[in-house]
Amino acid sequence: MTAPTTAHRSLRRRARRQSTLQALPWLAPALILIGGVVVYPVGYMIYTSFRDLTRFGTDKGWAGFDNYARVLELEHLPKVAMNTVIWVVGVVMLSIGLGLVLAQFLNKRFPGRKVLRMVIIVPWAASVVMTSTVFVYGLDPFYGIINRALVDLGLLDEPFGFLKSPVPGFLSAMAVAVFVSIPFTTFVFLAGLQAVPHDVLEAAQIDGAGRVQTYWRVVFPMLRGAVVVATIINVINVFNNLPILKTMTGAIPGYDADTTTSLMFKIIQADRQIDTASALSVLNFVVVVVVIGIYLRVVRPMRED
Amino acid sequence: MKRVIKAVAVAAVAALGLAACGDDSGGSGSEGGTTELELLVPIYGDLTKPYWEDLVEAFHKENSDIKVTLETQSWDEIYTVLTTKIQNNRAPDILELDAAGPAYAAEDLLYKAEEIVSPETLADIEKSFVDSALIDGVAYGLPTVASTRALFYNKDLFTQAGVTAPPKTWDELLDAAKKISALGGGVHGYGMPLGSEEAQAETSIFAYGAGGTWESDGKMTIDTPEAKEALTFMKKMIDEGVTQPNPGATDRTPLLDVFIQGKIGMIQGLPPIVGQINEKNPDLQWEIAPSPTKDGSPSTLGVADYFVGFDKGEDKQEAIAKFLDFFYQQDNYVKFNDNEQFIPATKSGAEAASAKPELKIFLESLPDAKFYPATNPAWAETSGAFKSLVGQIETKPVDEVLSQIQAKADATG
Repeated sequence: MTAPTTAHRSLRRRARRQSTLQALPWLAPALILIGGVVVYPVGYMIYTSFRDLTRFGTDKGWAGFDNYARVLELEHLPKVAMNTVIWVVGVVMLSIGLGLVLAQFLNKRFPGRKVLRMVIIVPWAASVVMTSTVFVYGLDPFYGIINRALVDLGLLDEPFGFLKSPVPGFLSAMAVAVFVSIPFTTFVFLAGLQAVPHDVLEAAQIDGAGRVQTYWRVVFPMLRGAVVVATIINVINVFNNLPILKTMTGAIPGYDADTTTSLMFKIIQADRQIDTASALSVLNFVVVVVVIGIYLRVVRPMRED
Repeated sequence: MKRVIKAVAVAAVAALGLAACGDDSGGSGSEGGTTELELLVPIYGDLTKPYWEDLVEAFHKENSDIKVTLETQSWDEIYTVLTTKIQNNRAPDILELDAAGPAYAAEDLLYKAEEIVSPETLADIEKSFVDSALIDGVAYGLPTVASTRALFYNKDLFTQAGVTAPPKTWDELLDAAKKISALGGGVHGYGMPLGSEEAQAETSIFAYGAGGTWESDGKMTIDTPEAKEALTFMKKMIDEGVTQPNPGATDRTPLLDVFIQGKIGMIQGLPPIVGQINEKNPDLQWEIAPSPTKDGSPSTLGVADYFVGFDKGEDKQEAIAKFLDFFYQQDNYVKFNDNEQFIPATKSGAEAASAKPELKIFLESLPDAKFYPATNPAWAETSGAFKSLVGQIETKPVDEVLSQIQAKADATG
């Protein structure tokens, strides 16, 4: 290949710049929206995390890393961090596992498949606060219908306060988190399954592969992109999930059933420290970015083979 | 999901607000002769918002030169909303809040009470209420509603358990609760809500009942012998199984519903519960008695809410005074208290309220009521610490819990 002349190159660069400029009016609404809704609040949050704010919201000036120090000195932080790991890993793995099974099932042809596919979307379509509230009432020991059913079926001797102590409360919240994550996960896998070409499956059959072999050797590798997408989006969603914990375990005293996200909320509402909460929020953000970075590095979904 | 939408909305508004800041600092207040007032009030119940909408409309009819913009917020959200507003220099002109409202005076943000209401109206307001939230001896808040707690009890359960009179002392309370719990069948003697919703109230009733206070010499005093005594008694009730199960994680509102269903013998409550019982279960046989205390001497928790005016250097005192005078006019004010079923803070309003029998116990307990030390800047965090930590007495030693809360209070004081 011959090198283009400098004149040629600068001409091309100018043309590119011009086309970028021409695109600007069309990009502007999106850019303004992203700037106002994403960049500005994130910037403001980072700024707040370095300020000394009174509980009234008045700004007392630069605080350096004091807010971050206060977060890291929290006595209950290790416990809360551990909870967060259990919360994210547990919920995401269960959602992915169950999602894979459900997707496989919904990919089969059977009467009523369309209806079933739609029914599965319901927990996704309903507001998370609403879903969790339904479970809060259902699990109530006094008038909860789930508790009543468990007693009537003889599974429990008397109603149990599922959401009244940290461990059962946290596990119940995890179950609800899985329940609301499954629809999205399932549909990502369903889309992935439908992209598996039929002739590949036929070829596997002709080569004498069994069902299990076909799945693990042929179908599953082709789902890798879908698994990566589902994992990343679920990790972000689950990590940042406040409504489920807030509605279901918010009344439990102490910090034994908190993740870093719900702790952040307690720092704002109970301790009235917007600055400290901002610092924790920034740390949360960094953690998510790092986790996803590592994940992408290990899985390398863009790798072609 | 709702929270996400709200967060996006807040962010968008904040972004727009930033853009609008440039021309906002001038005299926007009095353009073309009209003064704009922002009014921020908390929601007590279903009737709150319609009441304010009607009031603002009626006010506009009489005062075409003042435009009042109404914003209502739930009690859960209002503190956060307010902090965000103040952080962005967009404080409301008129705010109704608990004693945290007058506390903003400590940051030099408020007009004095006498500046935002006419002398006649100020004279009509009970002095003791005005004095319940002084900052350095100066009044900044105008009381809107007042209330005390009292013990609601289920007469049917009392009869069945053979309890003849409502308990006056802690010993009697424990005894009565034991007898009622012994009835079985999902019935519990005493409802103790120590969940995050309002744990500081339940704790304060008992601590005040032991002669304790949460503040002395401007410092938060949580880890005191009186408080220890109170929490030890509460823990004893929990340990002996005379409360509902898991009091530490039980919120007040759902527990009140259980009382209204007739499954709880006794529970501390506010006047508006009378209306809730009448609406949800009018057949319930109930009665009100003063809150039991350690030795039977009268004492309970009082609460009051206040109006304050924010001084943003825009000389809006007159307009604010016009609106507040309008609010305190007897008809408007009595209707407000009727809606919310609180005790009015004006002399003329109290006359109207004394005619109602269900408010009698509450009115009588008012002189002995102790208020939260909410004008102390550290109270907000202390109250938050109570909400998120005091329920732990169910499983942890009282000393440990009290020192944990004391540490939170000291960290901010």
